[in-house]
Amino acid sequence: MRSGSRMGDAMWGLAGILIVLAAWELATRLGAIDPTIFPGPIAAIRSAAQRLPASVFLDNMAWSLFRVVGGFILGAVAGTVIGFAAGWYRGFGYFARPLIELLRPIPPLAWIPLAIIWFGLGEPSKFFIVFLGAFFPIVTSAYHGITHVDPSLIRASRSFGLKGLGMLFHVGIPASAPDLATGLRIGWGLSFGVLVAAELIAANRGLGFMIMNERTSGGSVSVIIVGILLIGLLNLVTDAALAAFIRRWIGRWHGG
Amino acid sequence: MSRTGPERASSAAGAAPMIDIRHVRKQFDVRGGGEALVLDDINLSIAANQFLSIVGRSGCGKTTLLNIIAGLDAASGGEVLIAGRRVVGPGQGQGMVFQQHALFPWLTALENVVFGARSLPLAKAEKIDRARELLQLVGLEASAGKYPREMSGGMQQRIAIARALALDPDILLMDEPFGALDELTRIEMQQELLRIWEARRKTVVFITHSIGEALTLSDRVILLAPHPGRVARDIAIDLPRPRSRTDRRFNEFYEQIWSGLSS
Amino acid sequence: MRQQLIQALVALLLIAAILLGVEFGVREGYLKAYEFPPASRIAQGFVELTTVGFPTGVTIWTHTFVTVMRILKGYVAAIVIAVPLGLLIGAVPVLDKMTAPLIVFFRSVATLSLLPLAIVWFGAGELTKVILIGYGCFWVMLSNVIAGVKYVDPALIRAARSFRVSGWTLYREVVLPAALPRMFAGARVALGVGFMVIVGAEMIGTIQGLGALIMEARSFYRSEITVIGMLVIGVLGFLISSGLAAFERLLLPWGGGSSEASR
Ligand SMILES: Nc1ncnc2c1ncn2[C@@H]1O[C@H](COP(=O)(O)OP(=O)(O)O)[C@@H](O)[C@H]1O
Ligand SMILES: [Mg+2]
Repeated sequence: MRSGSRMGDAMWGLAGILIVLAAWELATRLGAIDPTIFPGPIAAIRSAAQRLPASVFLDNMAWSLFRVVGGFILGAVAGTVIGFAAGWYRGFGYFARPLIELLRPIPPLAWIPLAIIWFGLGEPSKFFIVFLGAFFPIVTSAYHGITHVDPSLIRASRSFGLKGLGMLFHVGIPASAPDLATGLRIGWGLSFGVLVAAELIAANRGLGFMIMNERTSGGSVSVIIVGILLIGLLNLVTDAALAAFIRRWIGRWHGG
Repeated sequence: MSRTGPERASSAAGAAPMIDIRHVRKQFDVRGGGEALVLDDINLSIAANQFLSIVGRSGCGKTTLLNIIAGLDAASGGEVLIAGRRVVGPGQGQGMVFQQHALFPWLTALENVVFGARSLPLAKAEKIDRARELLQLVGLEASAGKYPREMSGGMQQRIAIARALALDPDILLMDEPFGALDELTRIEMQQELLRIWEARRKTVVFITHSIGEALTLSDRVILLAPHPGRVARDIAIDLPRPRSRTDRRFNEFYEQIWSGLSS
Repeated sequence: MRQQLIQALVALLLIAAILLGVEFGVREGYLKAYEFPPASRIAQGFVELTTVGFPTGVTIWTHTFVTVMRILKGYVAAIVIAVPLGLLIGAVPVLDKMTAPLIVFFRSVATLSLLPLAIVWFGAGELTKVILIGYGCFWVMLSNVIAGVKYVDPALIRAARSFRVSGWTLYREVVLPAALPRMFAGARVALGVGFMVIVGAEMIGTIQGLGALIMEARSFYRSEITVIGMLVIGVLGFLISSGLAAFERLLLPWGGGSSEASR
């Protein structure tokens, strides 16, 4: 069921996108949908550009990106270290595991009120929410990876005299890299979604804020639509970059 | 079927062959353009009830050839006849046992065998009866209700054989069926297969990596040479069964095949 | 066994220590009760929530019920649409190629970013919340159904074809069951997405539902109620996903479960 060249696939994909865009544009022109609440793609971009200068979009985008990258890196580092440590050192695992298991089912967005209580309305509370979005999938996958290292690899390396930290760094961590990579991808997607939500609910800049503000201040639907499309594209591009990074990191020996 | 021609030269028996492979060629499109010739002008006549093995290096086209006989893939040139009829698809008397058993994990052993009889014009109950009989033949009637993952590799392969027999095929096509089994299970399965072959009289085309396995089982061994795949040797094994691996002539055949493969 | 005992003991002691630590810290004035609500307050808050309610008249049960109903409506609607659509797209390669980039894009759009637009279109009421949940669940489910159908082990398809099973029968009896584990995995992930979206969606424009509860409680400086709301959401999510896993084991006794889904 999988055949055809990459070029051919791309052409079909492009055709699909064009069909949807054309249908959207046509629907507004023919009056099937009301252009005042759902403008066509061309009208939306034109009137969004009229209403707000590009610098406003870029500025909000930069803020969102800054928060999501910052929070993600914090969450990824903490998740990786704690996940590996909990899986590698039994004693630490006894303490870390119950806390992780207890807190994991709570969706990151449910922490928003506490984040505001603890950190106020400024940047730290956004970082905290994004941090949570990244932390849980990453800690889970790091833990899963390190506790599922092929035992024969452990025995083999022991026979070469490896132990302790040497074993962790030369065998445990590389062997869990594919699991960790999966967690990083999921964590990135979650961080992104969580950030936009946090910006909608409590922020005064960022893409999420921009579109919500446009709505509450009775602004233009066009800006909202363009904002949503930007959010989607930003997530798409950054996720592809992360995937490319992961391929360079482990693709040669792990494939895919 | 009174055609004459050079392709009859390799016919083992005088009667019309069960499987007649004529000038079969196969090429695949290669990624980024071009074609790769995998099989080039294969000619083989296989008599009814013959047990034929094909040995050859990995990648020389054994699976490709078997798939063409099975009617799962189309040849790029030439044709395959089964009992004189041109092969256009599966179900013309071929039963297939795959390398990785390919049992349906969501069906029990019995249900897998019943699945094999799917396209037969029988009532459900009759299919079940037939499947039970086949499970008995492979010695697994007690495991009828087990799922594939609850069975050992040897058991799974027995179920796969029973499933392949469900359509009551004249021909059993087997693609390295015992390749993943340990040596002891493998020898048991070889004996089992010979027993079934003698009980049911099938024409068998058996692919293997193991020279010893080919010699233990077959009436005839084909060596396939790679790049492109073609018949390099066609050796009749006229040893009485059961065969002993320590027999002098067994070892002579072994040497002959080995030198054919390594040249 | 011994390890599990140690683990349970450590977990209990750890949690007890944290609760006592906070309790003590607040009593002695090291911690602010508003920032770190102690267990005693949480317990009082829970009693209040079950009897008087917060805001008055809306008990924790009402909040929970409202949230669950919203999730269920969006979730069920998403699955009912995504499953047939995914089965179709996965079976028709051209459709799959045409929709693949669109699906990736729509999945990349953070669901809650649609909130302002949804409010413009559907108002700030129930429909908007249900539609947002539906949107989030839909794309996750759709891409997993498509992947399930598309990545069926080709060996199983060949095996079925060798029994002359093709077309609609092949789809129904091989492709569909083989895709089920992936579809279940997708359903599990989609439910997680639903839980995530609802909390955000309820934080705006409503006073009912667990998301509204935790947000409202904060603006009245009742952080212990916020914590209760968070715990209830967590327990609820845990229970429902365990229930789904049990349902999956029941429906797929052959152990096709634990397949990886993609978000
Ligand atoms: N569908 C296919 N497309 C392209 N090349 C193929 C395909 N199937 C097999 N081949 C190539 O044909 C050759 C023979 O394959 P195969 O018949 O599986 O070998 P064998 O079974 O002898 O190991 C290999 O080089 C393989 O890469
Ligand atoms: Mg092969």
